[in-house]
Amino acid sequence: MKQRITYLVRNPDEFTPEQLAVKPSSIALRKVNAAKEHRITLGLEELPDELRKAFNQWHELHIRWASESPYDAIPPFTSRVSPGLHVFYTPQKDHPDSLLCPLLKEVFGNGFVCEDPKETFIKLPILSERFSMSSSTQFYTRIPDLASLVSYFQSKICPLSPNSCKISASTLLSASYVDIDYDAISHTLIINAFWARAPNEENHWTETISLPGSQETIEIGILNNEPNPDPEDISFSGFLTVLGQDTQPKPTRFQTPTRHYPLSASSLVYKTSFAHPTGLHPTLILTLPTKHLEPPDTTCRLHAHLTLPRTLFIDKYQFSDSLFLSSHHITSLRSISGATDLEAPDWVVPQWGSAALFELDTPSSDPDPDQEAGRDWNITIPLHLRYFPPSNSTHTPLAVPWPVLFWACRAEEGTKMSVNPFDRIHLGYEALFGPKTRFMHIPPAASRNGNGNGRGRREGGGELVEWIDVPVLDLRKAGWVEVGTVGVVLVSFLGLCWVLFGKGVGEGGAGVKKVGKGKKRQ
Amino acid sequence: MHLSSFFRSSAAVFSTSVLLRVVFLLYGLFQDAYSPMKYTDIDYFVFTDAARFISQGRSPYTRDTYRYTPLLAWLIYPTTWPGFWFSFGKVLFAIGDIVAGWMMFHILRSHQNMPLDRALKFASIWLLNPMVATISTRGSSEGLLGVIVIALLWAVLAKRVRLAGLLLGLAVHFKIYPFIYAASIIWWLDEDRIDQAKERKSKPKSSLLSRIISFVNSERLTLTIFSLFTFMGLNIVMYLAYGYPFLEHSYFYHLIRIDHRHNFSPYNTLLYLNSAPQGQSHPSFELERLAFLPQLLLSALMIPLALAKKDLPSTMLAQTFAFVTFNKVCTSQYFLWYMMFLPFYLPVSTLLSSRKTGIVALVLWVLGQALWLQQGYQLEFLGNSTFVPGLWTAGILFFVVNVGILGLIIRDVRAKETDPLRLKAAKKTS
Repeated sequence: MKQRITYLVRNPDEFTPEQLAVKPSSIALRKVNAAKEHRITLGLEELPDELRKAFNQWHELHIRWASESPYDAIPPFTSRVSPGLHVFYTPQKDHPDSLLCPLLKEVFGNGFVCEDPKETFIKLPILSERFSMSSSTQFYTRIPDLASLVSYFQSKICPLSPNSCKISASTLLSASYVDIDYDAISHTLIINAFWARAPNEENHWTETISLPGSQETIEIGILNNEPNPDPEDISFSGFLTVLGQDTQPKPTRFQTPTRHYPLSASSLVYKTSFAHPTGLHPTLILTLPTKHLEPPDTTCRLHAHLTLPRTLFIDKYQFSDSLFLSSHHITSLRSISGATDLEAPDWVVPQWGSAALFELDTPSSDPDPDQEAGRDWNITIPLHLRYFPPSNSTHTPLAVPWPVLFWACRAEEGTKMSVNPFDRIHLGYEALFGPKTRFMHIPPAASRNGNGNGRGRREGGGELVEWIDVPVLDLRKAGWVEVGTVGVVLVSFLGLCWVLFGKGVGEGGAGVKKVGKGKKRQ
Repeated sequence: MHLSSFFRSSAAVFSTSVLLRVVFLLYGLFQDAYSPMKYTDIDYFVFTDAARFISQGRSPYTRDTYRYTPLLAWLIYPTTWPGFWFSFGKVLFAIGDIVAGWMMFHILRSHQNMPLDRALKFASIWLLNPMVATISTRGSSEGLLGVIVIALLWAVLAKRVRLAGLLLGLAVHFKIYPFIYAASIIWWLDEDRIDQAKERKSKPKSSLLSRIISFVNSERLTLTIFSLFTFMGLNIVMYLAYGYPFLEHSYFYHLIRIDHRHNFSPYNTLLYLNSAPQGQSHPSFELERLAFLPQLLLSALMIPLALAKKDLPSTMLAQTFAFVTFNKVCTSQYFLWYMMFLPFYLPVSTLLSSRKTGIVALVLWVLGQALWLQQGYQLEFLGNSTFVPGLWTAGILFFVVNVGILGLIIRDVRAKETDPLRLKAAKKTS
C-alpha cells in the first residue's frame, strides 16, 4: 500500500512551517486551512478474494463520485463531474462481467437498477482516437452520500489493515469527490478522495498521520499555488515529506502543464433550474452572469455536459435548426449517447439514461443588443419526460443532477498533461475533445439564501440536484379504469351490433326519418 | 362572386383549393424561416431525413421513428436536392389532396348522379377544408394515402377491378389499415354488380358448394390476386432492399406497439396501467389484449357484411370510423382517414337532413375533443396528474360520442333503398 496526501493551503500567508510537526513515523498538522487529497494505491494481492476475482474479469474500471453539495475548488483540483456515481468501465474481451453490477450494489447500496453492464451501461462515443485510454461504457446513478461505501470498506477491506483504516474510511463521508481506478495493465487499485475543506467549523485540518507499517510509505505534500509562470502551466511551492525517510519537511517548488486549468474570473458561477411548471417537457435553465461570461481565450468555447437519468431524454432531432438553437442560446448538440429512444416509457428502457455534450452560445457571439452587462445569460435546454410507472400518488419525484459547465480551449501541449501528478481523466467528457484541449471549469453556485429557492429542493437532497415532479397515473383512483373501459367498449360494441343487425333499426326505406337521441348513450 | 355561383364553377372551386394550399405552403416557409416554432410537421423531418439516408445509399430506417414503407422516402427523394426542393414532399402531398378531391367530385357526379354544384359543395368538404390543407402542407403523408384510397374507391365503382386490386395492395403496403376495405369491396363485387345486364340464373335452393362457387366469381378472384400480388411484391422488393428493419418498422411495430403517451383512444389509460410494472401488481384480466376483437369484427367483418351491398362509399366510411374509434391508439390525424368518405355519405345522411341531430353530433364531437385536449394540456404542460379521472373520462366520453355517430351512420346506410336493379338478389340473401 502506498499513500499520498496533499494539502493545498488556501491562504499561503496564514501558513507557517510551525503548523507541522514531523516525527520519524508520523506527521502532525495543526490548524491548516487547506483542501486535501488523499490517494491510496493498493496492489491486487492486498485485496480480499471476492474483489480480486471480480477485478480479474475487467479491463478498466473508473469510478467517479461527486458530492451534491457545492464546494470551492482550488488548482490543481478544479475538474468536476455531475454529482452522483459515475462508473466508466471497459470489459475484457471474452471475459464475463457478471460480477460488476452485484459488486456495485454491494459497495454503493441497493438503491439503483443495474442488471447487466451490456444492458444497463451506455456506450461512450469516442471522437478522439488518440484517447485510447478512454473507457468504452458508462453507468450513472444518484448516490447522495457514501455511507454504504464506508461500511463496505470497514467490513471488507479494513480487517486486513490496522485500526486507523476504519477511521480514515469514515472520513469519506465528508469528501467532495472520490475516484476509484483500476486497470488490468497496472494491476493496481487507486482510491483518491478530495476534500475541499476540512469537515469542521473552522475548516482547519488538525490531524496526525502515522505510518501503519514498515513496508509502506506515505508521501505528504503541503503546497500552495504560485503565480502561473507559463500560460499553460500551474506551479506550486511548499513542503514534501516522505514518512519514514524524512525527519523534517523538505521545501519544494515545481510546475506542470495541466488539463484542467484554473479559471481566473472567480465570480463566474452558474445556476441550474427548471422552468415551472415542468409538465412533460421540462426545460433545463442554466443561468450565468452576462458580465463575467467572456471566453478566457479566443479558442475557448463554453460547454455543458449533461448526465440525464433515463426518465428524461433529449430529442436530438430538435437541435438541428439554427433558429431553434440560437433561441435557446445553444450552438450545437455535440454528442449524445445512451437512452435516446423517443417513444419508450421509462420501464422498457434498459439503460440507466443518457449523457450529452452541448456547445453553448456566449453573449459576445450573440448580437442581441438587449443582453447587457449585469443581466443574466440564460441557456435553455428542452428535455422530455418518459412515462413513469403508476404509483399510489399523483407525482413521482425525479432527481436531476446539475450538469457541469466548462470552457474547452486549445492547448499547445496536449500530450504532456499526463505528467501532471494531479491529472484527472475519465470524467466522461474529455474523450469527446481532441487531446490538445484544456478545460476551465465554471463552479456551480452555492445557494445564495440558505435553503435555496425553495422550489425544487427536497429533504435530504443536496444543492446540486434539481427535482422534477413527474405526473403519474394515481393507482388510488384507477381501480375502476379496467372495468369501466372494458364495460363501455363492450356495451358500445353490442349496441352497434344491434344497430347493424337488429330488427326494426333502419327499416322504412328513406333513412331520413327521426333518429332516437338515446343512440348516443349506448 | 356569389356563393351559389361559386359552387357552379368547378374551375373556381379547384383553383381556390389550389390557392388555399399555395398560401398555406408559403406561410409555412415564412414561419419556418423566421420562427423557432416550426410550421412543418415533425414527421416531415422524419421523412426527409429518411430520404437523405436513402440518397446516401443507406437504409431509411437509420432515422429513428421512421415507421413507413421505404417507398415513401423514395417518393420524396427530390427533397434531398438543395433549395426549395425541400418542400417537394409537401407539394406532392398537397397535389395528392387535390387529386383526391377531384376524384371525389368525379365519383359524386358519375356514380351518385349529383348535379354539378351539389357535387362541388360536397367535394369541398375535403377540397376547401383548412384542416386537410394544413395537414398536407405541414408535410404529413396522410393526404397521399387519401389519394390512394379514393382512387381505390373510384376504380371499384368504375369496375376497373385489376386497377382496384393494385391500389388496394399499395394502400395496405403504405398503411396497414386499408385491408379492412378488402372485405367490403369483395362483398360488394357480386354477380349483379359485374354484369347487371345479364339475367341472373335463379337457384332457389342452392347447395353450400354452389354458393361458394358462385361467390368466388372472376372479379373477386381478380381483385384478390392483384391486391395480394401487389402487396406481397412490394413487401418482397422492400425486404430484399432493406431487410428485417423494413418488416420491423413498417409492420411489426404497428402490431405490437403500446403507446403510453396519452391519445384519444379509450384504451389509453388501461394500456398505461397494465403495461407498467407497478400497475401489474393489481389483479387484472388483461382484457386490453382482446381490444382488436371488437375493432376488427366491426370494421372488417360485420359492417361490410351488413352494409357493403347497399352503399359502398358509406360502408367504407363506417368501417374506417369503427376502426379509428376502437383503435388502441388514436390521434387527430386518424380523423382524416374517415373524413375523406364524408362527401359520399353526408348528402343522404340524418346528420344533414335533420339539422338538429347534425348540429348536436358535431357539437358533441368537438366538445369531446376539447374536453380531452383541456385535460391533455393540464398534463402535458402544467404537469398535473390528470390521467384519472380527467383524461380517462374524456377519452371514454369522446369514444361514446363517436360510437353514437357511428350508430347514426350505420342506421342511415341500413335504411338505404337497395339498388333497384339488385332488389331481387338482395331479398334472396337477406
